[in-house]
Formats: sequence, C-alpha cells, structure tokens
Amino acid sequence: MHSEYVLEMQNITKRYGENTVLSDVSLSIKPGEIHALLGENGAGKSTLMNILFGMPVIHDTGGFEGKVLLDGEEAGIFSPHDAMMKGIGMVHQEFMLLPGFTITENIKLNREISNPHFFSRIFGKNLESLDMKVMSSDARKALDSVGMNIDEYTMVHGLPVGYMQFVEIAREIDKSGVKLLVFDEPTAVLTESEATQLISVMKKIAESGIAVIFITHRLDEVMAASDSITILRDGKLVSTLRTSETNIVEMAERMIGRKGESMVDLEKRENPHETVALHIKDLRVEMPGERVNGLDLDVYEGEILGIGGLAGQGKLGIPNGIMGLYEAEGEVALFGEPLKIGDTSAALRAGIAMVSEDRKRVGLLLDQAIEDNIVFNAMQVRGEFLRKIGPFSLKNSKEIKETAKQMIKDLDIRCTGPLQLSGTLSGGNQQKVCIARALCMNPRFLFVSEPTRGIDIGAKKLVLETLAKLNRERGMTIVMVSSELQELRSISDRIAIVSEGKLVDILAPDAADADYGLAMSGINPSEQRRKEAAGHDEQ
Amino acid sequence: MTNNKIRKMLAIVACVLALVLFAVGLINLPKRGSESGLKVLENYRIQAILKHAADAAGETPAAYAEKDTPALRTVTASYMDALSEFERLDNEARERYREEHYAEAEAALEEKHRKMSEAGQDIPDNYTVEVDMSGYEAPAEVKAAEVKEGEAYDVLRNALAAIYPSLDAEKGEAMRDGFRKMLYQPDDGFAEQYDRYREVSGAKGTFSAFLIRHADDIVFAGFALLVVAAMLLYSEWLVKKLGIPRVIIGLFFILLCFMTLWCDLSLPTLLSNTVVRMGMNAVMVLAMVPGIQCGISLNLGLPIGLVAGLIGGLLTIEFGIPGWGGFLFAIAVGVAIAAVCGYLYAQLLNRLKGEEMSVTTYVGFSIVSLMCIAWLVLPFTSLKLRWPLGTGLRNTIGLDSGNFRHILNNFASFKIGKFVVPTGLLLFMILSCFLVWLFSRSKTGVAMQAVGNNPRFAEAAGINVNKMRIIGTVLSTVLGAVGILVYSQSYGFMQLYTAPRQMGFIAASAILIGGATTSRCKISHVLIGTFLFQGVLTLGMPVANVLVPGSTISETLRILISNGIILYALTKSGGASRA
Repeated sequence: MHSEYVLEMQNITKRYGENTVLSDVSLSIKPGEIHALLGENGAGKSTLMNILFGMPVIHDTGGFEGKVLLDGEEAGIFSPHDAMMKGIGMVHQEFMLLPGFTITENIKLNREISNPHFFSRIFGKNLESLDMKVMSSDARKALDSVGMNIDEYTMVHGLPVGYMQFVEIAREIDKSGVKLLVFDEPTAVLTESEATQLISVMKKIAESGIAVIFITHRLDEVMAASDSITILRDGKLVSTLRTSETNIVEMAERMIGRKGESMVDLEKRENPHETVALHIKDLRVEMPGERVNGLDLDVYEGEILGIGGLAGQGKLGIPNGIMGLYEAEGEVALFGEPLKIGDTSAALRAGIAMVSEDRKRVGLLLDQAIEDNIVFNAMQVRGEFLRKIGPFSLKNSKEIKETAKQMIKDLDIRCTGPLQLSGTLSGGNQQKVCIARALCMNPRFLFVSEPTRGIDIGAKKLVLETLAKLNRERGMTIVMVSSELQELRSISDRIAIVSEGKLVDILAPDAADADYGLAMSGINPSEQRRKEAAGHDEQ
Repeated sequence: MTNNKIRKMLAIVACVLALVLFAVGLINLPKRGSESGLKVLENYRIQAILKHAADAAGETPAAYAEKDTPALRTVTASYMDALSEFERLDNEARERYREEHYAEAEAALEEKHRKMSEAGQDIPDNYTVEVDMSGYEAPAEVKAAEVKEGEAYDVLRNALAAIYPSLDAEKGEAMRDGFRKMLYQPDDGFAEQYDRYREVSGAKGTFSAFLIRHADDIVFAGFALLVVAAMLLYSEWLVKKLGIPRVIIGLFFILLCFMTLWCDLSLPTLLSNTVVRMGMNAVMVLAMVPGIQCGISLNLGLPIGLVAGLIGGLLTIEFGIPGWGGFLFAIAVGVAIAAVCGYLYAQLLNRLKGEEMSVTTYVGFSIVSLMCIAWLVLPFTSLKLRWPLGTGLRNTIGLDSGNFRHILNNFASFKIGKFVVPTGLLLFMILSCFLVWLFSRSKTGVAMQAVGNNPRFAEAAGINVNKMRIIGTVLSTVLGAVGILVYSQSYGFMQLYTAPRQMGFIAASAILIGGATTSRCKISHVLIGTFLFQGVLTLGMPVANVLVPGSTISETLRILISNGIILYALTKSGGASRA
C-alpha cells in the first residue's frame, strides 16, 4: 500500500498517570513538505516528537493511544534506533556532536564505512579498518548539500555555533533513506543570517523529497519556511493550516487562545504608576539557558507585574540576576536607591525577597523541618529568632514555633505540624513554605518565580490568591515570573513579555491573544499592526 | 497482608516456645540448690573422685556402681566441707593481703615500665598489676582449717585405698593438689562444678542433669525468643524508625549478648568495656558531625586532627606537665594546631568541591605518611618519647599516672557489681555532644547545616558557602584532636606512625551505622553508632575465642569485623532512612 503521506499520526493520545498531555492529535505530512509545529511550552510538541521517535520515556509510562503510519503502513517504532532505521532523523536543539572528532567522523559516527582485512576476518567486524576516503567524500557531499564549504577534516571543537548546527543537519542528510527530518528549534542559537541560510537549506532538503517537521516559536520563520502548519495548545490540536492561507496574527492568536476564565476573582483597579519601586536598566544575566541580554524595566510600587515569555528566553534570569544568584551586570535601583548587583545578602537586606522557581534545589531545605525553612532567611539575614546567651546566639525555638504555626495557619499549609520535614510535603504546600519564608523577611518587594510549577490546579489557585492578598492587604510590590500566561493574566496589573533576553512589550492582562502570541515570538504587537496597516495602505 | 500474618504467626510461635523454655528453665533452675541438684553433683563428684584416684594409683577405674557406697559418700561429704572451709578462709586472707600490698605493686610495675622505656623496650599493651604473694603467711585460723582438711583427706584417702590397693600414702599425697583443684575452685557454682567433674570422670550425662545444668541458658534462650517475637511483631515500625542497617546491627549486637551468656562469659564486664570504648571513641565520631553538616560529607581526613592532638599529647609529656593541667594543655595545643591545619585543609576542599570523598581520604593517607617522617625528625628530647638509641619517637608511647593516663576514666568512677562506670569519660562525652548540639542551634550552625544540606539554598539566602565549609572543616579537625587525646588517655598509650590512618574510617563507619548519611546526621547517630560499633567489636572477639578456642581468631576477627562494618556502612551511606 502506498500513501500520499510520508508520515501520518492519527488520533494520538498520551497520558502520564492521570495527566493527559496529548489528546486526539493528528498530523500528516507529504513528501517534500515543510510542516511547522507550533505551540507554547507544554503544548505537547515534545511529547508528540518523543512518540514519533519511540523514546523510552513514552514506552516506560504505558505507551500511547493512536497510530503512527509511515508511507501508509503501521510504523511500530519502539526505540530511537527503530526510528533511525525507518528513515526518521532529528536535528537536536542541543548539539549532539563529539568535539574532539573531525566533521567527517562526526557525520559518519556509528555508520562508518570500513574495509575488511586479515584480523577482522578472524576477530569480527569491529576490527575492520575505516575507509576514510569514501567517508570523507560522503561527508563532503552532505556538507555541500547544506551549503557549507568548510573542510571536512576540521575538528568540531572550536567551530562556530552556527556551523555545528549545519554539521548536525549534514549528518542527518547523510543517513541513507532519510524520509523525514525533524528540526527542533534549530534557529534558537543562530544569528539572523545563519537562520536565513538554515531556512534555505531546509527548503533545499525538502526539494529533494524529504519531509521536514519544523519546530519553532518564531512566527516569521514559520511564515518564511513552511508549507503547512499544525498548532497545538494544551495537548490538543487547535488547527491545521496552509501557510499561504494564514498570517502571523492569526497564528499567534490560535497559539495562545483563551484558556477558560481567570483563575482568581479580583476587582479591577487603576494601575498606581506613581513611584518606581524597581528600576532596571540594561540588565545582563549569565544564567545558563535563561540569559538576559540588556533588559530595561520599571516596576511601580504596589502593583503586581507579570513577566511572561517562552522557556529559555530569559524571563527567569531577571529575578535570579537581581538577587545575585547568577553573574549579572546592569543598573538596578530599589525605591530610588541603587542596589549592588550580584550581592545576594545586599539584595535581601535591602528588602527584596524571592521565591525561587526551583523549589527542590534552591527553594527548600528538604531534609529540615518546615519551621526551620520558614525562619531561615529572617534568622540569617535579619538576625531574628535568635536568643543571645553570652557570645553565642542560639535559635529561639519557641518564637520560631509560634511564627511557623501562624504562617501555617495564614497560608493554609497542610502538614502534620511545624516539625514535619519539608521534603515530605506536596508541591503546593512546599511552595507555600517558600512564600512563608519570603514573608518572614517582611519584604518591600517580592519576586515570585514560577510559583505554580508542578502543583495541582487547586493549589495553584490558593497560591495565586495568597499573592493577590499580600499585594492588596500589605501593599507589597510583586513581580511574578511565570510560563503560564493564564495565571499571569489572572492577577497581574501589567504583563511584560520577554523574548531572547530582551523586553518585547508590556501588555495589559486583557490584551488580545494575538498580541501575546506575537510578543512571545519576539514581535512587538503594536509594530506588527503598524506594519500591516502600512502594507494595507500600500495595496 | 499475608506477609504480616506470617510474621504474626511466627511471633506467636516464638512466644509459645519462649514460655515453654521459661517454664523448663525456671523449674530446673531452683533445683541446683535443692536436693536433686546436690544429688546430681554428688553422683558426678564420686565418679570424678574414683577416676582421679584410679589414675593416681595407676589402676583401671573400678566399676562405678560397685564402689559407690554410702560410706564413701559420707567421707567425701565431710572432706568437701573441710576443704571448702579451708579454701574460703585462705582466699579471704589472700585477698586481704593483696589489697594491702596493691599500691606497692603498682608503684613497682611503673618503675619497671620506666626502666623498660629507658632501655628502649616496648611496653606490652595489656598488663595487670600483679601483687607479689611471696610475703604472704597464712593466719592461725587458716592453719587450723588446713589441719582439719588434712585429717579429712586422710580419711578419704584411706577409703579410696580400700578400693585401689596400690594407692599408698605417697601416691595419695601426690594426687592431693589435683584433688583439691578438682573439687574446689573459688566462686564455684553448680555449672562450674558440674563441668569439672564431668570432664575428669568422663561420665555420661543424664537428660535431667543436663536440664539443671543448662537451666540458665534455657531461660536466656527464652528471652532471646521473646526478643525475636518482639522484633517480628514490630519489625515494620523498627525498620521505619531505625532503618534496616541499624536493625541488623542491633540484632547482631543482641545476639552477641546472648552468645556471651551461653558461653558463660561475664556480660557485665564486657558491657562495661563496651561503655568505656564507646566513651573513648565518641569524640572522634562526633568529629564527623560538623563535616557532614557543612557539606564535605565524611571527613576521612580526620588524621589531620588526630596528629594535631598527638602533638599536643607529646608536648605534655616532653614538658612533664602532670595530671589535669597536662591533659588540658595537650587539648589546648592540639586544638590550636588542628585549627590552623583544618583551615588550610578546608581551603583545599573548597577548591575541589564535589570530590570530597576521595580528597579527604587521600589527605588522610598523606598526612599520616608525612607525619611518619616527621615523628622521626621532630626534636623531642624526653626519654619516654624517644628511642634510646638513634633518633625519632617510639611507636607506642605509654602513658602513666604522671601523665594523663585514665584521667577521665578514673574521674569519679564507681562500680556496680562487675560493671565499672567511667563517670568522667561519659561526662566528657556528653559535654562534647552537648556543645556540638548547641553549636548546631546557633546562627552560624544553622547556616552551616543549610550549606551542607543545599548549598544553592544557602547561596540564595546570602550565605557565604565557602566560609561555612571552612568553619565546619575546622570544627571537625579540632574535634578530632580532642578525640584522639580522650582515646589515648583511656587506652593508656599514644600510638604514632601509621596508627591514626584507620581511625578516620572507624569513626566514619560508626556514625554511618548510627543512622547518618553522608549528607545528614544528628548527635543521636553518634551515640547509637559508637555504641553498636564498639559493642559488636568488644563482645564479638571473646565470643569468637570461645567458639574457636586456641587460635588467633580474635585478632583476625577484630580486623574482619571492623573492616566489614566499615564496608557495610559505606554501602549504606547513600540511602539511609530519614529517622
């Protein structure tokens, strides 16, 4: 049986325990087609690709429902090796190259061309000698086809990042019988000209009859490269579009969508916008995977400012950089007073508190009691909860217990008592312990980073309500960084969208979905409108 | 569910068995003092006497049943009375004499050791003060009793001579000493007499006699079964509370306790030794605590601290500072050196984060090797320390009452039966633990624990991680210095050269057995761990000696047990319980 599609994924559903991450998603790609896969973080793109490649994480958790057809036949892919044998290739986001090997060796790794000789006939194929000539001519061909004229004997170590990406592509092309290539965010690390070149290479590959799945969050690249588009949102298929029949704004809108109503009921209010609580100018943070690259932002006293953006775009770098957890430079002033950047205890003493996004590794002492976690910062930074006995200051258990009990009551932390180890709490309650510790500092300014990551929906609501309450009742200025747009929109007064380490725009919580979608792909929505308006005028 | 049921069933079976054993044991135990017990003893005694006499006479032993006449029994009984009266009085008198002359003998022994040191001989590790009994003269009442005993013996010998004609007066006199020893020993109980008589006579035992003889063992077995039953019933709870390693080692320890009872060893004495060894090792084990808390995990570089402490001790002897002053001086010097070395060591560890285990191990080895050279070249002059010929310090340096030998052990120590309570040692241990506990509750202590627990968390709270690691490492090293001095004063010797190499491992495994992990520990882990580790060692060796007598098994076993425990503890170092 032969089909017009090289790949068909039909009605794919995947559950991790109770949690449905993909439901009823279908996808079909013709040979020679570039198909863009769009979606926010957590929309299900990676899961879909993991299924396509038969990753162990899928099969170890009970497999999936639905069918994967290659050329109209049931594919039966149970391991990445199966996928490779069946002609599916992947260009990874993080390069999978051996730095100490030449380009040829990397391209031919584990698929070496070898000649038998005396010993290999006795001791087996593993001892055959390599036919470097054939190998390099193959590599040359592959490199030429991606438009690289670099010498194939060059070491990978020391190549510019962009080149590595192309070597990786060349390796996939060199595999014989490649029918389908997946590009996972290939342009994320490339310069603009390299990205343009990559797109042209991609088109060239497609012309040779290989189907391409292109995963990206850059909408303009999707417009430039793809023939058709599949948009996922929350594990569901939103739409399958022809690129020629759509535009950036429509894509952005569909990608974001409105996911139900606001999670927390709050009355509307005017933004205060009077005093600047935190002034950030040209902030640069070297946080691996979340680099901030020259960001300017003003936070006003008494507001809740949301910071959104896709993963890896630098939104997490902002609080971590200002708190001095990663190397940072730039100008930061808190309530008009300049803040020494990169000095954690100075920031804490100045009255900034932070709830880290990495609860387990940064946020908590998992092996210690709730009460010790709650009062830790106040004790270490402000010298509270201590009793002076001669030259020693010992911790004041009674005071600590009282405060912890009060916090447990105020924040409704579900636990057996203040002595329970924080590592044994559920995610939501751990988060509350983190918030309680921040509150013990009586901060003027609170950074909350991914407050609802990995906690269930009921606990999410409670955490958000707690934050809103702190803001309304204590007048605390809060900056909330989150990947979930929905929760940002629920309680923020303004939402700053960050892309590629820079501020794109600050939007109102009720701004159009399309605006959010555009901003997240790094396109300033108002500029895009202007451009479009200009385009219309020209017509 | 079913597992649970099986466990309950087994527990019930064990309980029932235990009750049966208790019943049997408790019925038979009082028989020892009663008529039936005495009868059993008498039977065996007569057989033993007949055998002994036949041996002495050089004749074949007479058939027992024929010669066992009531007359012989009466004679034997009256001889036994006279003999025990004499021996009792004699022993009392000797004991009195020994007590009177003990101080004299001790002084003499020290003088001898001093001379041996000067002559460059090694002083044996284990010695006891022997009172010279040559000056002893029996008092009048003892002499009177001896005369009576002699008369009774003549009667008995005559009775025996009637059975064995060739047993003349000369042969009778020759066998007299053996006779006495066979019939009477100080602190004689039922079990001892029973064993001795049977050994001499080679007579066959009867089941009822066996029950009486082993009544106490049967009762102990009952207790052991009760323990087993309790363990079965509460096994889940125990494992949850203590973790499997501690339950296993704890069970092994309890098993050893019962073994000592079955082997008729003195459990109180051995437990007393255990407590002493626990006290002398506890501070070194405690030194692991700040290390683990500050995040360098097990401080296997403990020998740095130990060497510092040893230098303190050596200086005390060099300057000849006596008593408490000397001990405190040794501690002060040891602490000072340990603090400086610990600081440098901590700097090294801060530069090699993440590889602490191997770094500490090799630092420990290196410092021991380095000091092996240093001990040879350090300019100590005291003859107590130096080899008399050539240069360098001795291998083991004996402490005496002029230094700080047993200064903590003997402080306010008292006896409960055979159990000696080393009050000073225990107080010092508790004081050290208390201070470390207090520190762990101070602001710095809390910060230090956070660094060990989660360095990134600590950083996020503005804590200087490196500084806290330095504090922890220095504290650990300092405790090591104090620990070795406590150890030496109790042991009575300071061991130089390669001796400190193993101690870091011993301390580390003790705390691991106590329930600590390489990243988390409490004071209770120190106490439990040291007790179990030392307990298993102290009880294990004598038991092994009884089980495999007349071999060097105890030394082999000591190495096996201590290294085995270390290995076992290290395998458990990763994932232990949160208890």
